[in-house]
Amino acid sequence: MIGAGVTPIAHAPVDWYAIAPEIALFAAAILIVVLRSVARHDPKVHQASMLIAIAGVAASALFTGVQWAFVHSNGPYQAMSGLVAVDGFGVFVKSVILGATLLALLLSGGYLRREHLESPEYFALMLCSATGMMLMASANDLITIFLSLEILSIALYVLAAFDRRRLSSQEAGLKYFLLGSFSSAVFLYGIALVYGATGTTRLSGIAQFLAKIVLLHDGVLFVGLALLLVGLGFKVAAAPFHMWTPDVYQGAPTPVTAFMAAATKAAAFAAVLRIFVGAFRLYDVDWRPAVFGLAVLSLLVGSIAAVVQTDVKRMLAYQSISHAGYVLIGVQAATDKGTSAALFYVCTYAVMATGAFAIVMLVARRGDDRHELTDYRGLASARPVLAGLLTLFLLAQAGVPLTGGFVAKLSVFSAAIDVGQYWLALVGMLAAVIGAFVYLRIVLAMYAPPDDEAAPEGPRIVVDAGTGVALTIAAGAIVFLGVVPGIVLDFAHAATQLLAR
Amino acid sequence: MIAENVVFGIIAAAMALGAIGVVRTKNVVHAALYLVVVLAGGAAQFILLGQEFVAWVQVLVYIGAVIVLFLFGIMLTRAPMHPKDSLDNDLRWPAAVTSLFLVGILVGLLVHTFHADKVDVQRPVRTADVTSSIFTTYIVPFEVVGVLLLGALIGAVVLARKD
Amino acid sequence: MSARNLLDLAWVIPALPALGAVVLLLVGKRIGEPKAGWLATALMALSFVASVVAFFALRSLPPDARSNVSQGFTWIQAGTFRVNFRFLVDPLSSTMTLFVTGVGTLIHLYAVGYMHGDERFSRFFAYMNLFAASMLVLVLGSSFLLTFMGWEGVGLCSYLLISFWFERNSAAVAGKKAFITNRVGDFGFMLAMFLIFQKVGTLDYSALGALPKLPQSAVTAIALLLFLGAMGKSAQLPLHIWLPDAMEGPTPVSALIHAATMVTAGVFLLVRAHVFFDLSNHAGTVVAWVGAITALYAATVALAQNDIKRVLAYSTISQLGYMFLAVGVGAYSAAIFHMITHAFFKALLFLGAGSVIHGMHDEQDMRRMGGLRKYMPITAGTFIVGWLAIAGIFPFAGFWSKDEILAKAWVSHSYALWAVGAAGALITAFYMTRQVWLVFYGPERWRDDAGLVQGSGDAHEGDEVNVGGAHGGSAPHESPWTMYLPLVALALLSVAGGFIDLPFTNQKLNVLDRWLELPEPTTVSHFSTGLVLSTVALVLGVVGILVGVAVYRNGLRRDGTDPGVERLGGFAGVLQNAYYLDAGLARFVSGPVTAFARFLSDGVDRAGIDGAVNGIAAGARAGGGTLRRVQTGLVRNYALGIALGTVLLLLYVATRVSF
Repeated sequence: MIGAGVTPIAHAPVDWYAIAPEIALFAAAILIVVLRSVARHDPKVHQASMLIAIAGVAASALFTGVQWAFVHSNGPYQAMSGLVAVDGFGVFVKSVILGATLLALLLSGGYLRREHLESPEYFALMLCSATGMMLMASANDLITIFLSLEILSIALYVLAAFDRRRLSSQEAGLKYFLLGSFSSAVFLYGIALVYGATGTTRLSGIAQFLAKIVLLHDGVLFVGLALLLVGLGFKVAAAPFHMWTPDVYQGAPTPVTAFMAAATKAAAFAAVLRIFVGAFRLYDVDWRPAVFGLAVLSLLVGSIAAVVQTDVKRMLAYQSISHAGYVLIGVQAATDKGTSAALFYVCTYAVMATGAFAIVMLVARRGDDRHELTDYRGLASARPVLAGLLTLFLLAQAGVPLTGGFVAKLSVFSAAIDVGQYWLALVGMLAAVIGAFVYLRIVLAMYAPPDDEAAPEGPRIVVDAGTGVALTIAAGAIVFLGVVPGIVLDFAHAATQLLAR
Repeated sequence: MIAENVVFGIIAAAMALGAIGVVRTKNVVHAALYLVVVLAGGAAQFILLGQEFVAWVQVLVYIGAVIVLFLFGIMLTRAPMHPKDSLDNDLRWPAAVTSLFLVGILVGLLVHTFHADKVDVQRPVRTADVTSSIFTTYIVPFEVVGVLLLGALIGAVVLARKD
Repeated sequence: MSARNLLDLAWVIPALPALGAVVLLLVGKRIGEPKAGWLATALMALSFVASVVAFFALRSLPPDARSNVSQGFTWIQAGTFRVNFRFLVDPLSSTMTLFVTGVGTLIHLYAVGYMHGDERFSRFFAYMNLFAASMLVLVLGSSFLLTFMGWEGVGLCSYLLISFWFERNSAAVAGKKAFITNRVGDFGFMLAMFLIFQKVGTLDYSALGALPKLPQSAVTAIALLLFLGAMGKSAQLPLHIWLPDAMEGPTPVSALIHAATMVTAGVFLLVRAHVFFDLSNHAGTVVAWVGAITALYAATVALAQNDIKRVLAYSTISQLGYMFLAVGVGAYSAAIFHMITHAFFKALLFLGAGSVIHGMHDEQDMRRMGGLRKYMPITAGTFIVGWLAIAGIFPFAGFWSKDEILAKAWVSHSYALWAVGAAGALITAFYMTRQVWLVFYGPERWRDDAGLVQGSGDAHEGDEVNVGGAHGGSAPHESPWTMYLPLVALALLSVAGGFIDLPFTNQKLNVLDRWLELPEPTTVSHFSTGLVLSTVALVLGVVGILVGVAVYRNGLRRDGTDPGVERLGGFAGVLQNAYYLDAGLARFVSGPVTAFARFLSDGVDRAGIDGAVNGIAAGARAGGGTLRRVQTGLVRNYALGIALGTVLLLLYVATRVSF
C-alpha cells in the first residue's frame, strides 16, 4: 500500500540513444567479467577479452558516428532532463577517447603477456575507465561530471597498481588514489558552492542563470569555480597540481601510462571546456587570469623540470604537464577558436603520447624497468625502425612542421594571439624551445653508440602484433595530422560550433 | 531560532575539536574514533536542517560502514595500535598555515556572500521527495553509480586476489 | 606552353631532391655506394636545370609582371586561418634557387668523392637532398608559413648532418647546439608571423605589396622579431655560437651550410620581408649595427684560430655580418649580391679546406701543414682564387660585392658603419693570408712533428688535435676528380661572379639590381665617390695581404709559436676563445638554469626525505615498504602542494570578488 500523500514515481523516459556509446563500452566490460567467471581456467579468455574489448570500442565508435550524423543534420540537444548533452563537441572528444582506448588496448595485449599479468579484469577495468571518460565528454551536469570523474579514476587507480609485484606500480596506484581522492573532494566542494550560488548543477542552467541575474555577492560562485579548477587541474596534470604525475606515470604499467596521458587528459579537458568556456563564459574576465597562471606554470614547470631527468618515462611525464599547459593556452582564450584549438591539441597529444609511450614500453622489456637514458643508447643501430618512430613522436611533441604537433601548437598559439595574449604565446614558445632540448636528449641517446660499460644487454626487444598495429596507426595519424590537418581541424571547428549550450 | 543556533554552535565546536583530534593524534585507532565524532556531528547538523534522510544516510554509510571498515582494516593488516611518531611529520607548520589560510578565505567569502540570508528550515524535505527525484530527474547519475560500483568491485577483486 | 604554365611547375624544383631523399632513405642501402651519391647529385643537377628553365621563363615575362604564384593545395584551413601550399617564383626566389641548386650540385658532386668509404654513405646523401629540398621550400614558399616550414626543415637537417658522425661526442653535442640555438631564433620568427597575421590578416607574401597602415611600434616589433629569427639561422651575435661547432659535420656539410643554404636563409628572410624594414624607423639601424659588430667580432676571432675549418667558420659569420649591414642600410640587392658571391668563394674555400684535410689524412690543424701547394696544385690554385676573392682584390667577385656594401653604407651617411666594415675588411685580408701561408706556403711542418709545441694556447675541444703526428711517411696527395672539378668550377665563378652587378653609372651593367627590382637607398652616388671608396677598399685589402705575407712569410716561428698571434700578447687567449662568449653562455645554462630545474622537479619533495622521490629505487623492499614510503611524507607533501595551489587560487579569487 502506498501511504497517503505519496505519489507513485513516474517513470522518466530514457533516451537510450543519447548514451548508446557509453552503454556499448560498458556492456563489453560486463561481458568480459561474465566470460571470466564462466570460463575461468581457459587460457584463451585473455585473448578473447581483448577482442571483446576492441569490439566494444568499435561498437561504441559506430554509435558515436551515428550521433555525429544526427547532430550534424539536426543540431545539438540535451537528453535525460539535461544531464547529458548530445553534441558535436562530445562526439569529437569521444572519438579521441575511443581512439586512445583502442591504441591502449592494442598495446596492452602483448604487454600483459610479456609481464605474465594476463587477466581479463584488466580489459574490463580499462573499458570501465573509458566509459567514465565518454560520459564525462558528454556530461552536461556537474553531478554527472563528478560521477564520471570517479568512474574513470577508480578504474585508473587499480590499473596503475596492476603490476602488483612491482613496488613502483603499487606505489603509483596508492599515490594516485590518495591524491586523486583529495582532489575529488575539492572538486565536490566546488560543485556544492556553485550549486549554492546558482541553484542548479546543469551547465546550461548555470549559463542561463548567470545571463539573467547579476550576482551582488559573487564570492561563493568564485570560490566554487576555483575549486572546480583545482579538481580538474589535478586530472589534467596542470601545475601546481601536478606533483603526482611523474611518480604515477613512471610507476604505472606503460600501456596504462599511455592511456592516462592520452584519454584522461582528453576527458578532463572536455569537462574544463564545458564548464569554463561553456557555462561560465560570461565570467571569463574573472577565470581567465587563473587559467593563464596555470598555463604558464604548467608550461614552465613541465619543460624545465624535464631537463634534469635521466629517466625517459619521467621526462615524458614532465612533458605531459607542459602539454597540458599548451591546451590551457587554448582554453584561456575563451573563444570558439581557442576551444577548437584545444580540441585539436588534445587529439594530437593523444596520438603522440601513446606512440612515444609504446616505444618506451618496448624498450623497457620484461620487468618494465629499463627507462634510463642509457638504456636507449644504441637503439638506432639495434632497432632502427623503433628508433625512427620514437624520433617521429618526439619531434611531433617538440612541434616540428609536417607533424601534427606543429599544427597543434600553431593553432593554440594563434588562438592566444587572437585575443591579444602575446605573453602567453611567448611563454609557450619558450617552453617549446626547452622541450625541444629534452626530446633531443632522448634522440641523441638513441643515435649514440651503445655504452660498453652499461649492464649486459637485456632480453631482445620483441614487438608483438598488437603493438605493431598500434604503432603503425599512431605514426600514420601523426603524419596525417601534420600533412593534411584540415580534415581534423574542420572536425574540431564544426564540433565547437555544435556545442550544446 | 536561538535554541537552534546554540545547538548548532555546540555541535560545530565538537566537530572542529574532533577534526583537530584526527590530525593531531599519533594513534591510528584514535584517529578513526575521532572521525566518528566529526561524522556524527555532521549527521546531527543535517537533522537540525530538517534533512532526516541525508542524516541517516550519513550515519549508516559513514559511521556504520566506512569507520567500521577502517577499524577492520587496521586490525587485519596488523597495523600498530600504539602511538607512532612517524604519523607526524616536519611539514606540520606549513600545513597548519596553509589550512588556516584556506579556512580564512573560505569563511570570509562565505560570510561575505550569505551574511544576512536566512535558510528556511521550517519545512523538512521528505524522504519520498528525495527518492522520486532520484528515480526521475537524476536517473542517469543513479544508474551511473552502478557503473562506478562495478568498477570499484572489479578493482577490489584485482587488488585483493592472491596469485 | 606559356611561361606562366611553366612557372606553375615550380614545385618540381624542391620535389626532385625531396624525391631523392625519400628514395635514398627507403632503399639507399640497396643502391649502395657510389650509385646513391650519383643519384642524389643527378637529382640536384636536374633541379638546377629546372631552376634555369624557371629563370628564363620568368625573364620572358615583362618586368612588371615577373611574379608567379603557382596553384597549390590548401594545407591548413580553420576558420579564417588558411595556409596554402603554393610556390612563388619572382626574381628574388629565382635567383636564390639558381645559386642554391647550382652550388648545391657542385657540393653534392664533391661529396661523392669525399664521403667515399663511409659506412652510411647513402644516408648522408639522403640528408643532403632533404637539406636542399627544405632550403628550396624556404626560398620558394609563397607565404611566411611555408618559408617557416622550410626553415624548420633546414634546422632539422642541419642537426642530422652536423651530428652525422655521432660516434664522436663532440659531433653529437654540436648538432644539438645548432638545433637549440636555431630554436631560439625560430621562436622570434614564429612570434613575428603571429604578429603579421594579426596585423595584416594573412601570411602571404603577396600581401606585403599593399600593407594596411600599421603603427610604427608594430612594424618595428615585426621587423626585429624577424631579425631575431634571422640571427639564429644566420649566426649573428650572440646566436652565432653554433656555427663554429658545426664544423664537426663532414666538410661538404659545412660547405652546404655556410655557402649555399642555411646561413643565407636569414638574409633571404629579411630581404623578402624588407617592407617592414623600409617602414620602420629604427629596426634597420639595429640590424646594421648587429651586422657590423658581428663582422668585426668574428674577423678578430678568426685571427687566432688554428683549425683550418674554424677560421673559415668565423669568416662566414663575419661575411654574414656584412650582409646584415647591407640589409640594415636598405641596400637589399647588395646583400643578395654579396650572398651570391660569398656562396661561390666560401663554398670554394670550404671544399678546398676539405680537400686539404682529405689529402692530409684528416689533419685539420694548420700548424701541422705548410708548403702544400707542391703536392696539391689544383687545390692550392683554386684556394688562392678564393682567398683573393674574400680579401676583396680587384677583379675577383668579393671585391665588387663587398665594395658595394661599403659604398652603400657610405652614401647613406653611416660613416661609422663604413669604418667598422672597412676595418673588418682589413682584418679579413690579413687572416685569410695567414691561412693561405700556413697551409700552402712556408716549410713543410707536417714532416717534423717536433716543430709543433703542444698546447700552445689551444684550448678548443673541437680542435681534435692529432697527438703524435699520424702522417708517418705518406705525403699529402691531390684529391680525385670528383673533388677538384667542383673546385675549378667554383674558382671560375669566384673570378667572374662579380660581373653580374657592376657598380658603374651605366645602368645596363647593374644586371642584378635591375633584375631584383628591390628598393635602394635613395641617395645618388657620384662616380668619383664610388671610385675613391673602391680604391680605399682595395688598398685596405692589399695592405692586409701584404702585412699578412710579411708576418707569415716563414710560416710559424722555429719554436712553433705563431708570429702574428704572439704579438697580440694576452689578448690572444681572448680571441682564441672567441671572447669567452660561448663558455660563458654554457656556464650560465649549466649552472643556475639546471639548478632551477632540479629545484622544480624535486626540490620541494626532497626536503627531509631520503631521496625517495625518484623513489622507485632499484632494490625491492619488503611488502610494507610502499606504505612506509607513502607515509614518510611524500603523499602528504604532494597533498600539501595541492592545498597550497588551492590557497593561491583562492587568494586570487578574493581579489576578484565584488564587495
